[in-house]
Amino acid sequence: MAQTFYIAIAVFVAVYALLIWDKLNRAVVALLGASALILLGVLNQEAAVHGIDFNTIGLLIGMMVIVFICQDTGMFQYVAIRGAKMSKGDPWKILVALSIVTAILSALLDNVTTVLLTVPITLLITQELEVNPYPYFISQILMSNIGGTATLIGDPPNIMIGSATGLTFMDFVFGVGPVIPIIFIATIIPLRFIYGSSFKVSEDRKKRIMQFRESETLTDIPLLKKCLVVLALVIGGFMMQRQLHLEPATIALFGASILLLISKKDLHHVMEKVEWTSIFFFIGLFIVVHSLVEVGFIRYLADLMLDATGGDMAVTGYAILWGSAIASSIVDNIPFVATMIPLIKNMAPAFGGDAAVLPLWWALSLGACLGGNGTIIGASANVVVSGIAHRNGHEMKFFKYMLIAYPLMLLSIAISTVYMYLRYLG
Amino acid sequence: MTAASIMTTKVLSISVSGTMYDAFKLVQEARVRQIPVLDEQKRVVGIITPRSLVKAILPSYITEGLLSDVKFAPELPDFVRHIDSLASKKVSDLLEKDFAAVSPETSVMEVSTLMINLKKHVESVLVVDDKRVLLGIISPWDVFKRLWDYSEKARK
Repeated sequence: MAQTFYIAIAVFVAVYALLIWDKLNRAVVALLGASALILLGVLNQEAAVHGIDFNTIGLLIGMMVIVFICQDTGMFQYVAIRGAKMSKGDPWKILVALSIVTAILSALLDNVTTVLLTVPITLLITQELEVNPYPYFISQILMSNIGGTATLIGDPPNIMIGSATGLTFMDFVFGVGPVIPIIFIATIIPLRFIYGSSFKVSEDRKKRIMQFRESETLTDIPLLKKCLVVLALVIGGFMMQRQLHLEPATIALFGASILLLISKKDLHHVMEKVEWTSIFFFIGLFIVVHSLVEVGFIRYLADLMLDATGGDMAVTGYAILWGSAIASSIVDNIPFVATMIPLIKNMAPAFGGDAAVLPLWWALSLGACLGGNGTIIGASANVVVSGIAHRNGHEMKFFKYMLIAYPLMLLSIAISTVYMYLRYLG
Repeated sequence: MTAASIMTTKVLSISVSGTMYDAFKLVQEARVRQIPVLDEQKRVVGIITPRSLVKAILPSYITEGLLSDVKFAPELPDFVRHIDSLASKKVSDLLEKDFAAVSPETSVMEVSTLMINLKKHVESVLVVDDKRVLLGIISPWDVFKRLWDYSEKARK
């Protein structure tokens, strides 16, 4: 017993260190850690498989398939350009419109897919306007992470929390959703003052934006109709999750199979587009964290945390909120949340059961999702945007980004603190 | 039958230290599909294709494939002007390192196999010696023509 305890911790620390070092593919690191645990006798294969949260895996795969097929119709680009045109070509209003589109899309799609759709459109628009795209990049990074916080499917931490706790889509919408529009507004107003001077363009330039023909993005109307039906079904299914007694993975995979059937897309092509490296990263990570649960280390950590907070709900909640935010601004929030989930579960009895720790889940969700905004490496969407920006001649430097984004991230956590106080912890 | 026996030895090439203006002139005058780029020792370091020239005037978010269809957008104001700034660029900035090269002893069968597995925009195969010095070039037509001549002779 004692020996496996230390082996599990050693493997966990090694996996974390390699993830932070960030030189090896994260899926390879997680799978190596998982197989090492089995080879070293900490877990047998059956127990390892038992530790994998297949609800998370199924939901991720299902949504990836649906989103990939929907992307082919051009519907998301249509929304982005439509939004930009509603601003009548005014650069600041375009920034606000694209931020709203980014926030809403990332609440429903994953954040990386969202920015891959909005950033190229942004570059086209800012080139037409001849304005500096930098403020647009910053706002889209921030808003993709903020929007993603609002729903169960918006960001991987929420998917994992929802899976592990049975909290539904609507639970998230009502539990963390209400604070998101407030954070959105509080984040976008400072951007106006920071970048205000770069939003002046001639009327001529504004007119060019109105020449965009968004209807031309819709290339496949029959497929578009099918996609809209399936999207409505899936999102409707998420909203009715409690009444239907269905896990989100079932809904997403059912929607994906219906869409594969009626879209007649080449299955091999669609399956290639599923991000298998992310899927296997999750699988490996679940096994690594599960071993910590099995050997009792998470139980031990939970006791430590209860001691430190004196078993006080409010103190624990604020500690999780701020701790998750700071941690997620530096490290990938996925391994962090994967570790925190069993930790909070282990603390539940001390607070009087599963229902009593509900505020802690919302604290974890807000902290982990919003914290990613702090640095350019804090979340996957940030890295993707800075990569595209760099290749198009707009370098997003680490400290220059942090100088703007870190205070805005702290502001969002401060707002979340007030929200948590008013609704759950006060 | 080997690569050496079917290659064209008169190959137009360009120096890696030249400017793109030289490359443009060569493309215009000789109407070649691809221009081998050579260093001072006449070794092949890359190729310039008309496609790489078009690619260079587009913004990278388009050439990366993030927007595969831009018919919804009006033409970019600085798109056409880009070609002027391109002329003064160095060949070394725009050469494609992804090209096919074989030794003179390579069989025509192998050259043909390589040719049909190439990325679609590169059609010809370069023939180089073991120090990568350019000896000749083989286009798909060269392969076909020489094989045809060969079989005609055999029939007689």
